[in-house]
Amino acid sequence: MRLCALLLAGALSSPAATYYLTISGLGGEPDYDQRFKMWALDIDSNLKKAGNVNVTTLIAPNREQIRAQFQELARTAKPDDSLVVMLIGHGTDDGVDYKFNIPGPDITAAELAELLDRVPAARQCVAIMTSSSGGAIAFLRRPNRIVITATKAGTEKNATVFARYWAEALGDPAADTDKNDAISVLEAFRYAQRKVTEFFDSAKRLATEHSLLEDTGKGDGERNPSPDNGVGRLAAAFTLVRLGANADAARDPAKRALLAKKEELEQAIDQLKYEKAGMDAGNYRKRLTLLLLDLAKTQEALDAPH
Amino acid sequence: MPRTEAPWRGLSSLLNREAARLFFVFALFATLTPAQTLPQAEALWKARHYQDANAVFRDLMARDPRNPLIRVRWGRMFLEHWQADEADRLFDEALELKPDDAGALLGKALVAAEVYAGSAAEFAQRALRSDPKLVEAQELLARLALEDDDRAKAEAAAKQALELDANSVQAKAILATLDWLADKKDSSWDPHAAKGYETAGHFFMLNRRYEDSVAFYRKAIGLDPRLDSARSQLGVNLMRLGRDEEAYQQLKTAWDDGFQDSATTNSLRLMDSEKNFVTFRTDRTILKLNRKEADLLRPYFEDEMRRAIAVYEKKYRWTLSQPVQVEVYPDHEDFAVRTLGMPGLGALGVTFGNVIAMDSPSGRAPGTFHWASVMRHEISHVFTLAMTNSHVPRWFTEGIAVQEETAASPEWGDRLGLDEIAAIKDHRLLPVTELDRGFVHPLTPQQVVVSYFEAGKICDYITEKWGWDTILAMLRDFGANDDTATVIRKELKMEPADFDRQFIAALDAETKRTVENFDLWKEAIKRIDAASASRDYDDVIRLANDVRDLYPGYVEHHSLYEALAKAYLAKGDRAAAIDMLEQYVHAGGRDPDSIMLLAKELTAAGNRKEAAAVLERLNYIYPMLSEQHRLLGELWLEQDNAGGAIREFQALLAAKPIDLAGAHYDLARAFNLNHQPDAARNELIDAMEIAPGFRPAQKLLLQLSGADQPAATKK
Repeated sequence: MRLCALLLAGALSSPAATYYLTISGLGGEPDYDQRFKMWALDIDSNLKKAGNVNVTTLIAPNREQIRAQFQELARTAKPDDSLVVMLIGHGTDDGVDYKFNIPGPDITAAELAELLDRVPAARQCVAIMTSSSGGAIAFLRRPNRIVITATKAGTEKNATVFARYWAEALGDPAADTDKNDAISVLEAFRYAQRKVTEFFDSAKRLATEHSLLEDTGKGDGERNPSPDNGVGRLAAAFTLVRLGANADAARDPAKRALLAKKEELEQAIDQLKYEKAGMDAGNYRKRLTLLLLDLAKTQEALDAPH
Repeated sequence: MPRTEAPWRGLSSLLNREAARLFFVFALFATLTPAQTLPQAEALWKARHYQDANAVFRDLMARDPRNPLIRVRWGRMFLEHWQADEADRLFDEALELKPDDAGALLGKALVAAEVYAGSAAEFAQRALRSDPKLVEAQELLARLALEDDDRAKAEAAAKQALELDANSVQAKAILATLDWLADKKDSSWDPHAAKGYETAGHFFMLNRRYEDSVAFYRKAIGLDPRLDSARSQLGVNLMRLGRDEEAYQQLKTAWDDGFQDSATTNSLRLMDSEKNFVTFRTDRTILKLNRKEADLLRPYFEDEMRRAIAVYEKKYRWTLSQPVQVEVYPDHEDFAVRTLGMPGLGALGVTFGNVIAMDSPSGRAPGTFHWASVMRHEISHVFTLAMTNSHVPRWFTEGIAVQEETAASPEWGDRLGLDEIAAIKDHRLLPVTELDRGFVHPLTPQQVVVSYFEAGKICDYITEKWGWDTILAMLRDFGANDDTATVIRKELKMEPADFDRQFIAALDAETKRTVENFDLWKEAIKRIDAASASRDYDDVIRLANDVRDLYPGYVEHHSLYEALAKAYLAKGDRAAAIDMLEQYVHAGGRDPDSIMLLAKELTAAGNRKEAAAVLERLNYIYPMLSEQHRLLGELWLEQDNAGGAIREFQALLAAKPIDLAGAHYDLARAFNLNHQPDAARNELIDAMEIAPGFRPAQKLLLQLSGADQPAATKK
């Protein structure tokens, strides 16, 4: 009886949603005001183009407006949902706390953490793309939350460009490096990070920002998330934007066997790649080719109309 | 290193420090007078006990602060110890105490001479006025004259030095060098002294006769194995000739012996970084690239090297006996090490015989450097040096090289710049017989730039009026060791002064409009910038079109072409924007963003062939952007240029794009078009190893499996 009730509850509940909140802060001068607003609107537009509906963008709001928006999220979001918060603008760090610069009193990292904690969405991603944002990690990290900062510490005080490329990542298919028709948080982070590096390299300027990602709930942030350092796992699994309708096949009972085979093959490929270092290169290549061919054929069958 | 602290840079390795200390302690506690202790300081210095000598000098100065001689001698020690700034300050202090102190003036002259500053001769002359018997100042004047390749003046100055001191090694060395440079095997002035041969080595280096330079440096250390300055220069010149193993050995020996000037230290550091480079050899070319950009640059650089060699062999009617070696440095500091101790800016590339060192396009801000133009320039030196056995004067080889930049393409090469306009306007161009001075001892840094321009224009003028064969005949004359005046009289049938008059008249006529209206143009630029900043695009269009043709060669930052293109785009007139950007690239514009913008606008307008040509141009300027290779590869694929598409997608992969799987897939499509199914399959597997679910790649892989014909290549 209890099981049935649970199944029923599951069947009736709405599918998990992702809530996006983008806030552009105070520029201090017209050029920066304009720039921050433009990047925030680019994010807004890219998210909406991808079919997302729970998208909120605040341009230069004050503290009360931000708090009100978080209260609304706390009221609406459910534990199965996901939350993405993106801050664009200037930040400061006095060595004690990080502050996001907004009209009126600034908002501190500690306060932001408290607001995020009140939102029931279990999976959260917060991208603080401001100067000095590295100082916010210690306040914001927690299990099941990804924290991205544009700088590696509170001491990197120059205005940042990370947000510009983060916004670009959400609309550029090139950011989807594994070609699964979805851009994960990790892919967007790597894309923006790479573009920031190119920006400083091509201008022959010393880089004044070094972005970090933390998703273990206990780290100080990693510049290069990888299996080696154990960072990036949550970020890789957290879809930020979907680019295509890749879930259609799952709804067709006639194709479930093929789908199961596809998943098996994908796992076998992952396993093979994991074993690559210890294998003879020729043998690895041969087995990989066979698996990929099989996967391609399976996908072809899945794509075929019945 | 401040002289008050004086922790001298690496000195003590082979010194008997204990003995020096005893001597120093004795010196300190002895009853001191300047007459007694200055020789002691000098003795410690000559024994290379620099730190101890430094302490004595410091003590002496504290005891006798008004004595300029202590400062002068202390400064000379700093100068010998490669601390020219410190030395210069001491000479200045000495001159404050005694404005006409000959020793201090000579010190200033020596400091200036080290960096080939134009003020060296003036200081040396002032020193001689203060002390007409100061032989070292007279020797320096002879040296400076020879550095300017003014051989008559050098000979006269050296003979005057010999009148002051019949045993002057440096005066004899200058006179002997004059004989040796003129290919006389023996000279009655042979100094038979290590330092004399070192001087000869220096002049053969300046004349780009590196083999001869090496031979003289060998002779110098043969006589005095501890003449580390000569040993270091032997190492540096061996490195220039590509003989790295022996170069390293000589440099290391000098360094270990305490000779740790910047040329020695940095050359060793550069050679230690050899592991970061990879060398590619063909029958005609040797290309050394940094590993991190080797895959990306190699196809473009190798192709251009081959093309330049083929063009020049025909044009100069000369076949090179050995391959041309090009070394490409992404770190400008590494490149700068290759030009240490050499006169002139050497800013972008430098040629040593058949070895060329140059900046990588990645080593400079995008758009500030046209690598292919620089390479053409440098490879022409390989020919002119080889044809004349390195006897060609600096101005002529540079003039030809500058001419070759635009001969390769009218869009290459440098345009009439602001410094050149000012020099023409103020009549500051040098007479042709003195033009070498502009390269070797420029009075201002701008004079080097202006001298390149002037030399190039002179060669253009000769080619236009007398023909290319006359240029070749002049090269032959220089090869036979004729000087500039003789060659001009022989080949152009006129006096050098008459040539100068005619050339300047022709140049004035060519540049008249720009030079006369330069101030007007400059004022207009400010107004246009302001209008552009406030988005008054109608004003930008009106003002810029009014003055654009007054200075059509201006394609640098804030060019009117770009301002106009931006204004036209803002007003929605894309055709006019395209036209303006096309004019910009034809005029030699190099900004990658503007060139990419033109390519994208042309593509959008359906002019895909022109778009591809524009992106090809960008490859010669700044081939580092993954986006340009992706776009060009796509355009070549559409136009069935499989070879071009393969090259571009390989470059895309080498640029390590964010979308690596996509780049492998693109390359697979290009291989497929080129009927290389195995290569295409390999790229597809690489793409799908990164992204197993990459559907276009999956489809092409299935198409290729078992198919004999190329599968459809559209995306």
